[in-house]
Amino acid sequence: MKKLNYILVLVLIVSHWAIAQKPVPAPPQTKPIALTGGTAHIGNGQIIENALITFDKGKLTNVVDGTTAKIDLSGYEVINATGKQIYPGFILPNSQVGLEEVSAIRAMNDTEEEGDMNPNVRSLISYNADSEYPPTFRFNGVLLAESTPLGGTISGSSSLMEMEGWNWEDAVHSADIGIHINWPLMMKRQFSFATFSFTESPNKEYDNQVSNLEHFFKDAVAYGNQSNKEANLKMEAMQGLFDGTKTLFIHVNKPKEVITSIRTAQRNGVKHITLISGEAALTVADFLKENKIPVILPSTHNLPDRVDDDVDMAYKLPYLLSQAGVMVSLSQDGSLHGARNLGFFAGTAAAYGMSKEDALKTITSNTAKALGVDKRVGTLEVGKDATLFVSEGDALDYRTNVLLHAFISGKHITLPGNQEELYERYSKKYGQK
Amino acid sequence: MKKFKFMLTLILLVSGWGAWAQETFPRNDVKDIRTGQYAFTNATIVVDPQTTLQNATLLIKGDKIEQVGANLSVPKGYVTIDLKGKFIYPSLIDMFTNYGLPDVERPTSSPYGGKEQTQSKTKGAYNANEAIKAHYNAADEFTINSKTAEELRKSGFGSVLTTKYDGLARGTSAFVTLSEKNDNTALLRQKAAAQYSFAKGTSSQTYPVSLMGFIAVLRQTHFDAEWFGSQTPRPFADNSLEAWIQNQRLPQVFDAGSWINVLRADKLGDEFGTQYIIKGGGDEYQRINEVKASNAILIEPVNFPDAYDVEDPLDAQNVTLEEMKHWELAPANLAALEKNGINFSITTSGLKKTSDFLPNVRKAIANGLTETTALKALTTTPAQLLKIDNQVGSLKKGMLANFIITSGKLFDDKTIIHQNWVQGESYNIKPLNARDFSGTYNLSINGKSYNLEVTGEAGSHKAKVKINDTTVDAIATFDNDLVTLSFRPEKDSKGSIRLSGWSEGNGWKGKGQLIDGSWVSWTGERTGDAIAQATNKTNNEGAKEELGKVIYPFNGHGYPSLPVTETILIKNATVWTNESEGVLQNTDVLLKDGKIAKIGKNLSDASAKVVDGTGKHLTAGIIDEHSHIGAASVNDVATNSGMVRMGDVLDSEAINIYRALAGGVVAVQVLHGSANPIGGQSAMIKLRWGESPENLKIQGADGFIKFALGENVKRSSNPNSIRFPQTRMGVEQVYVDAFTNAREYEKKWNAYNSLSAKAKPLALKPRRDLADETMLEIVNRKRFITCHSYVQSEINMLMKVAERFDFRVNTFTHILEGYKVADKMFEHGAAGSTFADWWNYKWEVRYAIPYNAAIMQRAGIVTAINSDDAEMGRRLNQEAAKSVKYAGMSEEDALKMVTLNPAKMLHLDGQMGSIKPGKSADVVLWNDHPLSVYAKPLKTIGGKVYFDVEKDKKQNNKALDTERARLIQKMKGAKKSGSPTQHGDGRIQVQFHCDDIMGLETEE
Repeated sequence: MKKLNYILVLVLIVSHWAIAQKPVPAPPQTKPIALTGGTAHIGNGQIIENALITFDKGKLTNVVDGTTAKIDLSGYEVINATGKQIYPGFILPNSQVGLEEVSAIRAMNDTEEEGDMNPNVRSLISYNADSEYPPTFRFNGVLLAESTPLGGTISGSSSLMEMEGWNWEDAVHSADIGIHINWPLMMKRQFSFATFSFTESPNKEYDNQVSNLEHFFKDAVAYGNQSNKEANLKMEAMQGLFDGTKTLFIHVNKPKEVITSIRTAQRNGVKHITLISGEAALTVADFLKENKIPVILPSTHNLPDRVDDDVDMAYKLPYLLSQAGVMVSLSQDGSLHGARNLGFFAGTAAAYGMSKEDALKTITSNTAKALGVDKRVGTLEVGKDATLFVSEGDALDYRTNVLLHAFISGKHITLPGNQEELYERYSKKYGQK
Repeated sequence: MKKFKFMLTLILLVSGWGAWAQETFPRNDVKDIRTGQYAFTNATIVVDPQTTLQNATLLIKGDKIEQVGANLSVPKGYVTIDLKGKFIYPSLIDMFTNYGLPDVERPTSSPYGGKEQTQSKTKGAYNANEAIKAHYNAADEFTINSKTAEELRKSGFGSVLTTKYDGLARGTSAFVTLSEKNDNTALLRQKAAAQYSFAKGTSSQTYPVSLMGFIAVLRQTHFDAEWFGSQTPRPFADNSLEAWIQNQRLPQVFDAGSWINVLRADKLGDEFGTQYIIKGGGDEYQRINEVKASNAILIEPVNFPDAYDVEDPLDAQNVTLEEMKHWELAPANLAALEKNGINFSITTSGLKKTSDFLPNVRKAIANGLTETTALKALTTTPAQLLKIDNQVGSLKKGMLANFIITSGKLFDDKTIIHQNWVQGESYNIKPLNARDFSGTYNLSINGKSYNLEVTGEAGSHKAKVKINDTTVDAIATFDNDLVTLSFRPEKDSKGSIRLSGWSEGNGWKGKGQLIDGSWVSWTGERTGDAIAQATNKTNNEGAKEELGKVIYPFNGHGYPSLPVTETILIKNATVWTNESEGVLQNTDVLLKDGKIAKIGKNLSDASAKVVDGTGKHLTAGIIDEHSHIGAASVNDVATNSGMVRMGDVLDSEAINIYRALAGGVVAVQVLHGSANPIGGQSAMIKLRWGESPENLKIQGADGFIKFALGENVKRSSNPNSIRFPQTRMGVEQVYVDAFTNAREYEKKWNAYNSLSAKAKPLALKPRRDLADETMLEIVNRKRFITCHSYVQSEINMLMKVAERFDFRVNTFTHILEGYKVADKMFEHGAAGSTFADWWNYKWEVRYAIPYNAAIMQRAGIVTAINSDDAEMGRRLNQEAAKSVKYAGMSEEDALKMVTLNPAKMLHLDGQMGSIKPGKSADVVLWNDHPLSVYAKPLKTIGGKVYFDVEKDKKQNNKALDTERARLIQKMKGAKKSGSPTQHGDGRIQVQFHCDDIMGLETEE
């Protein structure tokens, strides 16, 4: 019966693929493109009205004020963006894109490897370029996403992926940008039937778990200093943390553990640290500011952690943290389908204290910095990737986030996907169009 | 060791027989029957809580009281015990214990995720539900437990009601004394009370799993028993129902455990005309008016929480205001009950240590409980409630010789219990006639003099020796006749002087050994009274302080008073009427008496509070067609759970109610989950923050019920599931079967009801089946279906089944493939309530698209956007905006999807859903365009202002911080003065989704 079910699922998947209208990946940019007349949101806080933006061979060549700049656009494909808004592609950090498909079906998920310390496990290998998610992401402006493994204490290495490509090699933007660790917790959470609520009790293993983790780091440092060594894939994978080529992403949402985890990493020579946390970051904001640790927050579309918290705590958390001097970016937690709302998470941050341009940073330049990829993406600046889009209006608000054009490394991508095809099909069936 | 204990027990038993051997028991000695005649003289005797006799005498004979009086002469042949200065009280009664019964081992493995157990596993002719253990009698298992008996006696108890904590119906409890003589005499009454609870105990049967299921099972069992009992001969044997019927004549005790469950239990009892005696939670002060109005008689614990350890401010974050306030106010609970005239008894139940009992009752007295009421609650009240007041609870002729002898008034801090007499037998606790040696003495040892000071109470003296200017503690024991004393004569002495002696006049004489081992004689002469000690006042210090206020609801966002109806004039706003007038610019709206009174320009009302709406938007309040907030549980698991009612388990204290209000929501349908093809009945509530659970309900609203299709119903996430149905084919059969049975059920009742007045009593009345009744309501169009649904095949199926039985499916909820059958839904007349953009988290939502709402709406279907999620539920305006973005829906139509359209689906559009004079004043004032991500509700009004952003920020948040700070300092004080503390456990309330069985699963 179980086998039969499995076959049934397979058959369904295959038959689905036969009818799906997934957009064909676009060819590389062959000709310089100019966007004229639009309002450019650079991603660093700046706005250029009536902007002239040009890009060639996938890289931005001009981002200037079109009223004054004189650039000869002959030979360019010119797109008139007058009255429209231009943004750098939104970047989704800490996601399971390409690894998670239908989360309820085990066979369709490739998120968690066996074992506790897996720095050598690489997400891009499992990355499914034919996933149904990317078309829905980029439809709303999310053009880049970090594909991140889950599980264990050291989950593995993540890569930044472009939301376009024939296969993972084609889609990868930056391979193995960092290693994700889940810091142990002093208190364990469990459900109590007696009080019908979640409660916490001390984790007796905490000290052991922390010392094991520190040991792993120390061994990795020592390994790097050995001249004659027996190859060790796990130790090898850790080296980038010490030479600054990889970022250490620490997942932890308790204030005391935040401090311990960052101190431990620093003590062992980790050069770039990014914290993935929530309300706990606010409690230790001074520490994060002093240590210049960027923070990736969950979606603003969340409930407060505690009953006594302000009702709008999740909404204003990005503002409160940035006011405290901490660099903040936003992610999606929970099921992957919600990540297409990344722009609206930032919009909510803007509704609760941040300026719109600062809110934009939380899904563009700040994220690029937190992921260590800011040399190439995150802002509309000359020399960076031509990964950007043109929206009908404010891309952080629902009614105006309507994309007209999107480019990934200069490739002019197709926006409608399978969902738009179904919309067409049934609208026609009922004579609605 | 074990053998030793056995011997000890035997010795105790044998010595017990010496006094009054049981008539039928074999003897292993010569006959030794003594009458046990005692006279207690010169005592202050508290005969009952109202009557105290000074200088009185108590005569007992055997296990009974012979006489009590002030001027009694002691007849010959009595052992006289002089109790000058002492008090005699009736011994205390605890009516909520499991004394002498085995502990119940609950199943440790979670019943979810495994193979379901659809039938009871109880062997024999017992009830179909394993949790109905009405046939159980505590008397059958009761046996003396010396350790527990001693603990209880030390706290002054002489008899208890004992119950096995197992089952929704727990059978009967036994009334027993704390005598250790033998089981036969200790057991006073076999079936003393019938016991019920909201916990299924050891039952491993899958149904019921939820609080609302527990209530449904008790309700159904009541009707089953009525039907069963009306038949002779019985239709089949059911020992549990048989016992249930018998047990109805007993006092009915319900273990509820919190004020909210007290109200639930009382309401259940009201349905059958039963007034339960209800075990409360010690938190009744939080809703004292509702508890009082229930007329319930309570059994109250005194398990006051320890202070929380709040030294580390980060740890203190884990403690909620609710926990802090309860710590402060719990000791004042009994005083609040007394003040409100609520009848109650007090129990040791819930205490970590029984020895905390008297100190905690004294703490309650320090917090305003009167001593008389405290004593009543421990003596006459339980005795009367259990109808055993002719034997225990007061000291009257013929009653059991159950009393305690104390050193003073029972509830004074210093009072000790000397002896506890149970059924005429004495159990010594602290020596009765301990001599008071307190005073100063001159010790003369081998020619040297030392000053000795003895302090403290008789029986627990402490001693100090003063040598020159220094004072050293002495190790001393004082017996009436003997004394032992040792001390270091000098600070740096290598050893101690050790003395032993006997009392002589006011002092002692004796022998002793010096440090070098040489023997000497010594004397101690009394020289004066001890210097009065400063008494330890820490216990009472806290009580004098003003206590914090009770807030409604009792959590961090509660208010000290409830909102009142105001006349409000909103001026110059952009008004989204949802009526043919459309969106009106620069318009005034007057709200009066909880209704929308007028809409227009330049309105005025002298009594109105004017709100400037310039630049702001006013819309109808948001209505969530699919919500699980404000419910204590969400799913039960019977395939047909139509008898289960969400209205039984509303939780007015749920923080998500307030959070939803802050998102502009005024009303929700609280739905059962989607674990079964036929789920439970919905509750229609308005978010009246601060009101009681019952007051949340919308009076007169139509009844709805949750149905569900697809993966959840066929238990796709549980590979071990065996519950029917496992396929969509089976799901259809469940419905056809349920509606067919409903018609059969109707026929049976119609036949019975049409019998003549003469024939009726002779005929068998059909059994009331609450699931069948619900199904019949559906086919008779008196109850309406909201059906959780995803793929087109099953949506189509349910419409066909409904049409076959000639009714209509009211609403398909979630309905993610509604766009594929929109034409059929329109034709059928079903509404569609969907997610804006959820998809792909499970197979049946693979083809969900964000255009679904727009396609359905354009096909003429009444379409809504729902949440099924406490987080999304507070941003429904934004979810509606997504149809504008994706499908270009008009803004007015989009807003209607979260206001007027859900009102229509829920049959509430006559009173809500649009801004129209005469409708309820359910409106939201926004700072921005209501479909914008930047829009925030400034006021959410549901008749009254239930959320106001200014009040929230300035008053609520600040008041919350101030109150937390005050309580943290007070707790630090408590810790410093030595009170025990506990760590915050980071408690958070469970968020429900419709898949959740016990809040453990997530996703829709």
